[in-house]
Amino acid sequence: MSNDQKISIQEKVMSQIRSGQAKMKPRWHFILSSLAVVGGLTGFTVTSVFLVSLATFSFRTHGPMGAVRYQQLLSSFPWWAPVLAVAGIGLGIWLLRKYDFSYKKNFVLIAVSFAFAVALSGWLINYLEIDNIWMKRGPMRELYKRYDAGMMRGPGWRMMQNGGYGNQNPRPGDGRDIIPRF
Amino acid sequence: MGDNEKFSDEEIVEKVRSGDRELYASIVGRYQNKLLRYASNLLKDEHKVADVVQESFIKAFINLEGFNAKKKFSSWIYRIVHNEAVNLLAKHKNEVPMPEDIDFKSDEDIEEGLRKEEESAMVGKCLTQMPILYSEPLELFFLEEKSYEEISDILRLPVGTVGTRINRAKILMKKLCQTIKK
Repeated sequence: MSNDQKISIQEKVMSQIRSGQAKMKPRWHFILSSLAVVGGLTGFTVTSVFLVSLATFSFRTHGPMGAVRYQQLLSSFPWWAPVLAVAGIGLGIWLLRKYDFSYKKNFVLIAVSFAFAVALSGWLINYLEIDNIWMKRGPMRELYKRYDAGMMRGPGWRMMQNGGYGNQNPRPGDGRDIIPRF
Repeated sequence: MGDNEKFSDEEIVEKVRSGDRELYASIVGRYQNKLLRYASNLLKDEHKVADVVQESFIKAFINLEGFNAKKKFSSWIYRIVHNEAVNLLAKHKNEVPMPEDIDFKSDEDIEEGLRKEEESAMVGKCLTQMPILYSEPLELFFLEEKSYEEISDILRLPVGTVGTRINRAKILMKKLCQTIKK
Protein backbone atom coordinates (compact mmCIF):
# COMPACT_ATOMS: atom_id res chain seq x y z
CA MET A 1 0.00 0.00 0.00
CA SER A 2 1.60 3.23 -1.11
CA ASN A 3 1.80 6.34 1.08
CA ASP A 4 -0.23 8.25 -1.51
CA GLN A 5 -3.08 5.79 -1.13
CA LYS A 6 -2.96 6.08 2.64
CA ILE A 7 -3.07 9.88 2.45
CA SER A 8 -5.88 9.77 -0.06
CA ILE A 9 -8.02 7.65 2.27
CA GLN A 10 -7.80 10.29 4.98
CA GLU A 11 -8.49 13.07 2.50
CA LYS A 12 -11.42 11.26 0.89
CA VAL A 13 -13.00 10.47 4.23
CA MET A 14 -12.61 14.02 5.52
CA SER A 15 -13.78 15.58 2.27
CA GLN A 16 -16.99 13.51 2.42
CA ILE A 17 -17.50 14.66 6.00
CA ARG A 18 -16.77 18.31 5.20
CA SER A 19 -19.02 18.33 2.14
CA GLY A 20 -21.87 16.81 4.13
CA GLN A 21 -22.02 13.64 2.01
CA ALA A 22 -21.32 11.67 5.16
CA LYS A 23 -23.61 12.86 7.92
CA MET A 24 -23.69 11.55 11.44
CA LYS A 25 -27.00 9.89 12.25
CA PRO A 26 -28.63 11.65 15.19
CA ARG A 27 -28.65 10.03 18.60
CA TRP A 28 -32.44 9.66 18.59
CA HIS A 29 -32.12 7.37 15.55
CA PHE A 30 -30.23 4.82 17.66
CA ILE A 31 -32.45 5.32 20.69
CA LEU A 32 -35.56 4.81 18.54
CA SER A 33 -34.07 1.72 16.88
CA SER A 34 -33.22 0.21 20.26
CA LEU A 35 -36.70 1.02 21.57
CA ALA A 36 -38.28 -0.53 18.47
CA VAL A 37 -36.29 -3.74 18.93
CA VAL A 38 -36.98 -3.93 22.67
CA GLY A 39 -40.66 -3.07 22.13
CA GLY A 40 -41.01 -5.64 19.36
CA LEU A 41 -39.37 -8.37 21.39
CA THR A 42 -41.45 -7.48 24.45
CA GLY A 43 -44.64 -7.63 22.39
CA PHE A 44 -43.78 -11.01 20.97
CA THR A 45 -42.74 -12.24 24.41
CA VAL A 46 -46.10 -11.24 25.85
CA THR A 47 -47.90 -12.87 22.91
CA SER A 48 -45.87 -16.06 23.25
CA VAL A 49 -46.37 -16.25 27.03
CA PHE A 50 -50.08 -15.78 26.50
CA LEU A 51 -50.19 -18.56 23.90
CA VAL A 52 -48.26 -21.00 26.08
CA SER A 53 -50.57 -20.10 28.96
CA LEU A 54 -53.63 -20.63 26.77
CA ALA A 55 -52.37 -23.99 25.56
CA THR A 56 -51.58 -25.28 29.07
CA PHE A 57 -54.89 -23.92 30.30
CA SER A 58 -56.70 -25.79 27.56
CA PHE A 59 -54.84 -29.03 28.35
CA ARG A 60 -55.66 -28.65 32.03
CA THR A 61 -59.35 -28.01 31.52
CA HIS A 62 -59.62 -31.00 29.22
CA GLY A 63 -58.63 -33.11 32.22
CA PRO A 64 -57.50 -36.76 32.22
CA MET A 65 -59.37 -37.39 28.98
CA GLY A 66 -57.39 -34.62 27.37
CA ALA A 67 -55.93 -36.96 24.78
CA VAL A 68 -59.39 -37.48 23.34
CA ARG A 69 -59.75 -33.80 22.68
CA TYR A 70 -56.17 -33.28 21.71
CA GLN A 71 -56.96 -33.40 18.02
CA GLN A 72 -59.76 -30.93 18.57
CA LEU A 73 -57.35 -28.57 20.29
CA LEU A 74 -54.78 -28.94 17.54
CA SER A 75 -57.33 -28.27 14.85
CA SER A 76 -58.61 -25.11 16.53
CA PHE A 77 -55.24 -23.82 17.80
CA PRO A 78 -54.27 -20.49 16.25
CA TRP A 79 -51.07 -21.73 14.58
CA TRP A 80 -50.47 -18.39 12.94
CA ALA A 81 -49.61 -16.95 16.35
CA PRO A 82 -46.57 -19.13 17.19
CA VAL A 83 -45.41 -18.78 13.58
CA LEU A 84 -45.69 -15.02 14.00
CA ALA A 85 -43.82 -15.23 17.31
CA VAL A 86 -40.95 -17.19 15.73
CA ALA A 87 -40.85 -14.77 12.80
CA GLY A 88 -40.81 -11.95 15.34
CA ILE A 89 -37.79 -13.38 17.12
CA GLY A 90 -36.02 -13.68 13.77
CA LEU A 91 -36.96 -10.12 12.88
CA GLY A 92 -35.80 -8.87 16.27
CA ILE A 93 -32.42 -10.55 15.90
CA TRP A 94 -32.09 -9.21 12.36
CA LEU A 95 -32.86 -5.69 13.60
CA LEU A 96 -30.37 -6.07 16.43
CA ARG A 97 -27.71 -7.12 13.94
CA LYS A 98 -28.59 -4.34 11.53
CA TYR A 99 -28.84 -1.42 13.90
CA ASP A 100 -26.44 -2.54 16.58
CA PHE A 101 -23.93 -4.10 14.23
CA SER A 102 -20.78 -3.41 16.12
CA TYR A 103 -21.15 -5.14 19.46
CA LYS A 104 -20.91 -8.80 20.25
CA LYS A 105 -24.14 -10.53 21.15
CA ASN A 106 -24.77 -14.18 21.76
CA PHE A 107 -27.88 -14.63 19.63
CA VAL A 108 -28.18 -18.35 20.38
CA LEU A 109 -28.26 -17.56 24.10
CA ILE A 110 -30.82 -14.78 23.52
CA ALA A 111 -33.09 -17.14 21.54
CA VAL A 112 -32.75 -20.01 24.05
CA SER A 113 -33.31 -17.68 27.03
CA PHE A 114 -36.33 -16.21 25.29
CA ALA A 115 -37.88 -19.63 24.63
CA PHE A 116 -37.16 -20.74 28.22
CA ALA A 117 -38.61 -17.53 29.68
CA VAL A 118 -41.76 -17.90 27.58
CA ALA A 119 -42.28 -21.54 28.55
CA LEU A 120 -41.64 -20.83 32.25
CA SER A 121 -43.94 -17.80 32.31
CA GLY A 122 -46.71 -19.71 30.54
CA TRP A 123 -46.38 -22.61 32.96
CA LEU A 124 -46.35 -20.27 35.99
CA ILE A 125 -49.51 -18.53 34.81
CA ASN A 126 -51.15 -21.92 34.55
CA TYR A 127 -49.70 -23.18 37.86
CA LEU A 128 -50.82 -20.09 39.77
CA GLU A 129 -54.20 -20.29 37.98
CA ILE A 130 -53.98 -16.71 36.84
CA ASP A 131 -55.63 -17.91 33.63
CA ASN A 132 -58.78 -18.72 35.63
CA ILE A 133 -58.99 -15.05 36.56
CA TRP A 134 -58.50 -14.07 32.92
CA MET A 135 -61.28 -16.43 31.94
CA LYS A 136 -63.66 -14.69 34.32
CA ARG A 137 -62.82 -11.11 33.48
CA GLY A 138 -60.72 -8.99 31.22
CA PRO A 139 -60.34 -8.68 27.47
CA MET A 140 -59.16 -12.28 27.02
CA ARG A 141 -62.29 -13.75 28.60
CA GLU A 142 -63.94 -14.85 25.35
CA LEU A 143 -60.77 -16.38 23.97
CA TYR A 144 -60.15 -18.42 27.12
CA LYS A 145 -63.73 -19.64 27.09
CA ARG A 146 -63.18 -21.00 23.58
CA TYR A 147 -60.39 -23.23 24.88
CA ASP A 148 -62.12 -24.18 28.11
CA ALA A 149 -63.60 -27.69 28.16
CA GLY A 150 -65.36 -27.03 31.47
CA MET A 151 -63.39 -29.55 33.55
CA MET A 152 -62.59 -26.87 36.11
CA ARG A 153 -66.28 -26.41 36.85
CA GLY A 154 -67.32 -30.02 37.26
CA PRO A 155 -69.78 -32.23 35.36
CA GLY A 156 -72.80 -30.13 36.34
CA TRP A 157 -71.58 -27.20 34.32
CA ARG A 158 -71.29 -29.31 31.21
CA MET A 159 -74.71 -30.87 31.76
CA MET A 160 -76.14 -27.41 31.92
CA GLN A 161 -74.36 -26.54 28.71
CA ASN A 162 -76.04 -29.53 27.11
CA GLY A 163 -79.47 -28.49 28.36
CA GLY A 164 -79.54 -30.65 31.50
CA TYR A 165 -81.85 -30.29 34.56
CA GLY A 166 -84.85 -29.94 32.28
CA ASN A 167 -84.67 -26.19 31.89
CA GLN A 168 -82.59 -24.68 29.17
CA ASN A 169 -83.64 -21.10 29.85
CA PRO A 170 -83.51 -20.36 33.56
CA ARG A 171 -84.61 -16.88 34.44
CA PRO A 172 -82.57 -14.63 36.64
CA GLY A 173 -83.82 -14.65 40.19
CA ASP A 174 -85.77 -17.89 40.04
CA GLY A 175 -83.07 -19.69 42.01
CA ARG A 176 -82.13 -21.95 39.16
CA ASP A 177 -79.79 -19.77 37.26
CA ILE A 178 -76.82 -21.71 38.50
CA ILE A 179 -74.75 -21.17 35.42
CA PRO A 180 -71.91 -19.14 36.78
CA ARG A 181 -71.97 -15.59 35.54
CA PHE A 182 -68.47 -14.42 34.78
CA MET B 1 -3.19 17.28 15.49
CA GLY B 2 -0.29 16.93 17.92
CA ASP B 3 -2.34 18.12 20.89
CA ASN B 4 -4.75 15.28 20.33
CA GLU B 5 -2.13 12.62 20.98
CA LYS B 6 -2.78 12.80 24.72
CA PHE B 7 -6.47 12.02 24.25
CA SER B 8 -7.80 8.49 24.09
CA ASP B 9 -9.84 7.32 21.10
CA GLU B 10 -12.99 7.44 23.15
CA GLU B 11 -12.31 11.02 24.28
CA ILE B 12 -11.75 12.12 20.68
CA VAL B 13 -14.96 10.40 19.63
CA GLU B 14 -16.82 12.36 22.32
CA LYS B 15 -15.34 15.62 20.96
CA VAL B 16 -16.30 14.68 17.39
CA ARG B 17 -19.82 13.88 18.56
CA SER B 18 -19.93 17.24 20.30
CA GLY B 19 -19.37 18.98 16.97
CA ASP B 20 -15.62 19.06 16.30
CA ARG B 21 -15.79 17.02 13.11
CA GLU B 22 -12.25 17.86 12.03
CA LEU B 23 -10.95 15.79 14.92
CA TYR B 24 -12.16 12.70 13.11
CA ALA B 25 -9.07 13.08 10.92
CA SER B 26 -6.92 12.13 13.89
CA ILE B 27 -8.95 8.97 14.37
CA VAL B 28 -8.47 8.12 10.69
CA GLY B 29 -4.75 8.88 11.05
CA ARG B 30 -4.41 6.61 14.06
CA TYR B 31 -6.12 3.64 12.52
CA GLN B 32 -5.73 3.70 8.76
CA ASN B 33 -2.39 1.86 8.62
CA LYS B 34 -3.51 -0.78 11.09
CA LEU B 35 -6.81 -1.27 9.31
CA LEU B 36 -5.18 -1.41 5.88
CA ARG B 37 -2.86 -4.13 7.13
CA TYR B 38 -5.74 -5.99 8.76
CA ALA B 39 -7.98 -5.74 5.70
CA SER B 40 -5.18 -6.73 3.32
CA ASN B 41 -5.10 -10.13 4.99
CA LEU B 42 -8.82 -10.57 4.40
CA LEU B 43 -8.81 -9.25 0.84
CA LYS B 44 -6.04 -9.77 -1.65
CA ASP B 45 -6.87 -6.87 -3.93
CA GLU B 46 -5.07 -3.68 -2.84
CA HIS B 47 -7.75 -1.39 -4.29
CA LYS B 48 -10.54 -3.28 -2.58
CA VAL B 49 -8.61 -3.08 0.68
CA ALA B 50 -8.41 0.70 0.39
CA ASP B 51 -12.10 0.92 -0.53
CA VAL B 52 -13.13 -1.24 2.41
CA VAL B 53 -11.10 0.80 4.90
CA GLN B 54 -12.35 4.09 3.48
CA GLU B 55 -15.96 2.88 3.54
CA SER B 56 -15.49 1.61 7.11
CA PHE B 57 -14.27 5.02 8.31
CA ILE B 58 -17.27 6.67 6.68
CA LYS B 59 -19.71 4.14 8.18
CA ALA B 60 -18.09 4.57 11.57
CA PHE B 61 -18.55 8.34 11.30
CA ILE B 62 -22.19 8.03 10.21
CA ASN B 63 -22.92 5.68 13.13
CA LEU B 64 -20.69 7.44 15.65
CA GLU B 65 -23.64 8.34 17.89
CA GLY B 66 -24.35 4.63 18.17
CA PHE B 67 -20.89 3.91 19.57
CA ASN B 68 -20.83 3.14 23.27
CA ALA B 69 -17.99 5.30 24.60
CA LYS B 70 -17.61 2.96 27.59
CA LYS B 71 -16.29 0.30 25.21
CA LYS B 72 -13.12 0.29 23.14
CA PHE B 73 -13.26 2.23 19.92
CA SER B 74 -10.57 0.03 18.38
CA SER B 75 -12.71 -3.10 18.73
CA TRP B 76 -15.64 -1.23 17.20
CA ILE B 77 -13.77 0.02 14.14
CA TYR B 78 -12.09 -3.35 13.58
CA ARG B 79 -15.50 -4.97 13.72
CA ILE B 80 -16.81 -2.59 11.06
CA VAL B 81 -13.86 -3.37 8.79
CA HIS B 82 -14.42 -7.08 9.39
CA ASN B 83 -18.09 -6.73 8.41
CA GLU B 84 -17.26 -4.73 5.29
CA ALA B 85 -14.59 -7.20 4.21
CA VAL B 86 -16.75 -10.24 4.87
CA ASN B 87 -19.62 -8.68 2.91
CA LEU B 88 -17.28 -8.04 0.00
CA LEU B 89 -15.91 -11.59 0.21
CA ALA B 90 -19.42 -12.95 0.10
CA LYS B 91 -19.86 -11.15 -3.22
CA HIS B 92 -16.54 -12.45 -4.57
CA LYS B 93 -16.09 -15.88 -3.03
CA ASN B 94 -13.04 -16.66 -5.10
CA GLU B 95 -11.01 -14.25 -2.97
CA VAL B 96 -10.43 -16.93 -0.34
CA PRO B 97 -7.23 -18.78 -1.20
CA MET B 98 -8.04 -21.94 0.76
CA PRO B 99 -11.24 -23.63 1.96
CA GLU B 100 -12.33 -22.55 5.42
CA ASP B 101 -13.36 -25.96 6.71
CA ILE B 102 -9.86 -27.39 7.08
CA ASP B 103 -9.26 -28.33 10.69
CA PHE B 104 -5.98 -29.05 12.42
CA LYS B 105 -5.84 -30.71 15.81
CA SER B 106 -2.71 -30.92 17.85
CA ASP B 107 -1.51 -30.23 21.38
CA GLU B 108 1.85 -29.15 20.07
CA ASP B 109 2.93 -25.73 21.28
CA ILE B 110 5.27 -23.96 18.88
CA GLU B 111 5.20 -20.70 20.75
CA GLU B 112 7.90 -21.91 23.13
CA GLY B 113 11.37 -20.65 22.33
CA LEU B 114 10.34 -18.15 19.71
CA ARG B 115 10.69 -14.46 20.25
CA LYS B 116 7.64 -12.35 19.57
CA GLU B 117 9.34 -10.34 16.81
CA GLU B 118 10.33 -13.48 14.95
CA GLU B 119 6.85 -14.81 15.30
CA SER B 120 5.36 -11.59 13.94
CA ALA B 121 7.60 -11.71 10.89
CA MET B 122 6.76 -15.33 10.27
CA VAL B 123 3.07 -14.68 10.75
CA GLY B 124 3.19 -11.91 8.17
CA LYS B 125 4.76 -14.18 5.56
CA CYS B 126 2.53 -17.16 6.10
CA LEU B 127 -0.77 -15.45 6.82
CA THR B 128 -1.57 -14.97 3.17
CA GLN B 129 -1.51 -18.76 2.69
CA MET B 130 -3.94 -19.50 5.49
CA PRO B 131 -7.74 -19.73 5.45
CA ILE B 132 -9.37 -16.63 6.90
CA LEU B 133 -10.98 -18.70 9.63
CA TYR B 134 -7.54 -19.04 11.23
CA SER B 135 -5.54 -16.19 9.78
CA GLU B 136 -7.87 -13.48 11.06
CA PRO B 137 -7.66 -14.24 14.80
CA LEU B 138 -3.95 -14.96 14.45
CA GLU B 139 -3.29 -11.65 12.75
CA LEU B 140 -5.31 -9.77 15.34
CA PHE B 141 -3.36 -11.46 18.11
CA PHE B 142 0.18 -11.19 16.76
CA LEU B 143 0.22 -8.27 14.36
CA GLU B 144 -2.47 -6.06 15.85
CA GLU B 145 -1.60 -7.17 19.39
CA LYS B 146 -5.21 -7.55 20.46
CA SER B 147 -6.16 -9.49 23.57
CA TYR B 148 -8.34 -12.60 23.38
CA GLU B 149 -11.20 -10.52 24.81
CA GLU B 150 -10.82 -7.86 22.11
CA ILE B 151 -10.62 -10.48 19.36
CA SER B 152 -13.73 -12.03 20.85
CA ASP B 153 -15.47 -8.64 20.57
CA ILE B 154 -14.28 -8.04 17.01
CA LEU B 155 -15.11 -11.49 15.63
CA ARG B 156 -18.12 -12.11 17.88
CA LEU B 157 -16.74 -15.41 19.03
CA PRO B 158 -16.48 -16.86 22.53
CA VAL B 159 -13.05 -16.28 24.10
CA GLY B 160 -12.48 -20.05 24.23
CA THR B 161 -13.09 -20.38 20.50
CA VAL B 162 -10.64 -17.55 19.86
CA GLY B 163 -7.99 -19.42 21.85
CA THR B 164 -8.69 -22.67 20.01
CA ARG B 165 -8.50 -21.02 16.61
CA ILE B 166 -5.27 -19.24 17.45
CA ASN B 167 -3.69 -22.46 18.67
CA ARG B 168 -4.76 -24.32 15.54
CA ALA B 169 -3.61 -21.40 13.41
CA LYS B 170 -0.13 -21.69 14.95
CA ILE B 171 0.04 -25.35 13.97
CA LEU B 172 -1.13 -24.57 10.49
CA MET B 173 1.26 -21.66 10.24
CA LYS B 174 4.18 -23.87 11.19
CA LYS B 175 3.25 -26.37 8.49
CA LEU B 176 2.76 -23.67 5.89
CA CYS B 177 5.98 -21.87 6.78
CA GLN B 178 7.97 -25.10 6.58
CA THR B 179 6.49 -25.74 3.16
CA ILE B 180 7.37 -22.23 2.04
CA LYS B 181 10.98 -22.61 3.27
CA LYS B 182 11.40 -25.85 1.32
